[in-house]
Amino acid sequence: MSNPSSETPLLDELLKGRWPSFVKEMKEMADTKPMVRDVLRQLEKSYVDKKTHWKHGGIVGVKGYGGGIIGRYSDSPEEFPGAAHFHTVRVNQPAGWFYNTQALRDLCEIFDKYGSGLTNMHGSTGDIILLGTTTDELEPIFSALTEKGWDLGGSGSALRTPSCCVGPARCEWAMFDCLDICHDITHHYQDEIHRPAFPYKFKIKVSGCPNDCVSSIARADFSIIGTWRDHIRVNDEEMTRYVANGRNPINDAVLLCPTRAIEWDGKKIKIDNENCVRCMQCINAYPRAIKPGLDRGATILIGAKAPIVQGALFSSVLVPFMKIEEPYDEVKELLESIWDVWDDHGENKERIGELVERMGKGEFLEKIGIAPDVQMVIHPRENPYIFYDEFYEEEDDATANK
Amino acid sequence: MSIEVNGKSIETDEDGYLKDLNDWTEDVAKALSVTEDVEMSEQHWAIVRFLREYYAEYQIAPMVKILTKEIAKKEGMDKKDASKYLYDLFPSGPAKQACKIAGLPKPTGCV
Amino acid sequence: MNVRKTDIGCPDYKQFLPPVILENYGKWDYHEIPRPGVMLHVGESGDKLWSVRVGSPRLLSVKSILYFCDIADKYCDGFLRFTSRSNVEFMTVHEANIEPMIKELEGEGWPVGGTANSASNVIHTQGWVHCHTSATDASGLVKCVMDELYDDFTHHSLPGRMKLAVACCLNMCGAVHASDIAILGIHRRPPKVQKENLAKYCEVPTTIAACPTGAIRADILNGEKTLQINESQCMYCGACYTACPKLPIADALNDGLSIWVGGKCANARSVPRFTKLVVPFIPNNPPRWPEVVDAVRTIVNVYKAHGKPWERLADMIDRIGWARFFKLTGFEFTKYHIDDYKLATKSYNASTHLRF
Repeated sequence: MSNPSSETPLLDELLKGRWPSFVKEMKEMADTKPMVRDVLRQLEKSYVDKKTHWKHGGIVGVKGYGGGIIGRYSDSPEEFPGAAHFHTVRVNQPAGWFYNTQALRDLCEIFDKYGSGLTNMHGSTGDIILLGTTTDELEPIFSALTEKGWDLGGSGSALRTPSCCVGPARCEWAMFDCLDICHDITHHYQDEIHRPAFPYKFKIKVSGCPNDCVSSIARADFSIIGTWRDHIRVNDEEMTRYVANGRNPINDAVLLCPTRAIEWDGKKIKIDNENCVRCMQCINAYPRAIKPGLDRGATILIGAKAPIVQGALFSSVLVPFMKIEEPYDEVKELLESIWDVWDDHGENKERIGELVERMGKGEFLEKIGIAPDVQMVIHPRENPYIFYDEFYEEEDDATANK
Repeated sequence: MSIEVNGKSIETDEDGYLKDLNDWTEDVAKALSVTEDVEMSEQHWAIVRFLREYYAEYQIAPMVKILTKEIAKKEGMDKKDASKYLYDLFPSGPAKQACKIAGLPKPTGCV
Repeated sequence: MNVRKTDIGCPDYKQFLPPVILENYGKWDYHEIPRPGVMLHVGESGDKLWSVRVGSPRLLSVKSILYFCDIADKYCDGFLRFTSRSNVEFMTVHEANIEPMIKELEGEGWPVGGTANSASNVIHTQGWVHCHTSATDASGLVKCVMDELYDDFTHHSLPGRMKLAVACCLNMCGAVHASDIAILGIHRRPPKVQKENLAKYCEVPTTIAACPTGAIRADILNGEKTLQINESQCMYCGACYTACPKLPIADALNDGLSIWVGGKCANARSVPRFTKLVVPFIPNNPPRWPEVVDAVRTIVNVYKAHGKPWERLADMIDRIGWARFFKLTGFEFTKYHIDDYKLATKSYNASTHLRF
């Protein structure tokens, strides 16, 4: 057999340079796995042809689950027999992506034994990804995973694997226990994750503060983003210490405050709390001197998605402030009322954000039983095309309240 | 890939879905159910018939939620129980397995 | 045979938290970044935890993961974590472990950085490595871009945070639409309809509904249902191919990249916003995509030269204006830059606020 490195001259160019090379990662497994060698050869062909050589779709899975595995087949199985089947296994990550080495070693052993030994740490949704195994290995790998305490994540028209930021585990700005609620929701909705029954995918992402380290506002159908209701806490001595070390709070906080809500006179920090929009800038710049308040919870936003089909959307405010406390019943009730409306009105492959857009947010709010709040919009309506529900009949006394 | 039914070879794709939906007969469904490890009962056939009738009318497979609602109505169950009922009958899932046996097109999309 | 377990969910995260985190959980006081790639978190208790952030290519072999385990066993009492941007974080309470650990990691080619005002690791998708709808290879582009931005990853060399993303098609399995710099794989020609036997492979109504512009219509061929595309209405999103394999859209001659800037997710200072188009098309030029790398370098250089401290790229462009941004980067402004989709008029300049 020829040396695999000589089979992929274009990819070999990506072994050069200082950034860690994915080609090196693949080559390391190709030495012992014909499957990976063929995937590399197929990838080389893509680099020559400038197009993908994976076939459309692929429907495989494990018993009792409607998702968790993405079927993938080569479009040239005769040329690359090892790449004929190369299915993705999504494994539900632990909240916050923390591991001990024993758990990772177990996963590596399973991935090496039953698949390509290639992974993504992690997929965009947050799952641990095993890139590549065959149909025959799916049940065995599933048994091996569950034996070690791992389960599959979501795929298809289902609740996708929820994910969260590092939260209170290692961040002073986590406004609630992101890891716990992420873990709790994941376990509470196993059926929704594993047995797709929604009109389309539904993502939940949990960020502990408005810095939004998991991009919840851009990527989650249901975004939980930490915030606080009371006053920012300030420590003038700590600020004086920052200044003594050469920092300039006028430049780093006062001039950057979007609502001009902070002042620094050289001795004291003054915050106009009623006008503070919780943007985090002054807190980010001076973690020791300026801290979030203590009446903490989250803003719930709804509807983010990438462009396909009706255009990209950010999540928008649904509940300006909610306390996030065990057993998270308020969050679950809200989620379920949203899913009920989606179930009744959602069309095939219509994300919740697109349904809200089609239905109108006002109408949607009425259906899920939430009162309109001015903080849900940037500004009130600009056009006069109003669908009035209420009106007078001829016989009504127009001056009386109807 | 292909399966043998009554001496005739019926072509399937790599996931076992019929390449030509016109090839479907009850015997083909039985043969497909064997490859899926599903033992067809009257309850299975009822779902297969519902899927085929729905497809004939709308040219699409019903969304899982519609199938679940239909069963919930027919069997007097709530939606959760109806979903469990479906997965008990078709362990690999209604979208993947029941549609395959019913001879509907392969579901699409991972994204 | 063992009873088959299902629906056990993810393992409990608590077993994976190092003791110092269990003790200081929810009680961290503040953090500092003593050097690029190293964070120091201090608890209200006074406990200190150092984290060393290492960039990874996301696509990792088990050999590399086992190497990370060896490092974590040696320096971090057997604990480690990953970030949402595919970095690995090694956490230790022993300050003395930091320098030898960094030396060992860097010696093996693992870059330490990605904190504060450095270039982030690149969120990306599967590309030609593992996806059927990709217009380009995400991993290859990331490798080339990060080779170029390596020093900006390992140093705090930028005015503010800079988050990068690559998506290999418009499905955008990543936050391309809200990144400082985004590279997006695009198609430029309509799908080629394989009309024969189409209805045997896909659902005609579902495919028609998949088109955002209503360009797909039912058709009849040899007495059987099939589809036709009104090509003038198609904007090459590929949503129909996701619904129907008989509408292949990959086209080696016309597929390529587009470059977008000025998106953000964080609420800090300004509100979150989408990326905006700056380069409509660059041909696929594997394996090193030099034109893409040049364009990214150009944007980063303009940001370095003109951004003020803390400003994200979007904030800088707010201040200097798009006209100056195009002038400084030298990118050509064309009709493709002017929106013509839903609510396009919202992006027209309906004022006399202009810069000359």
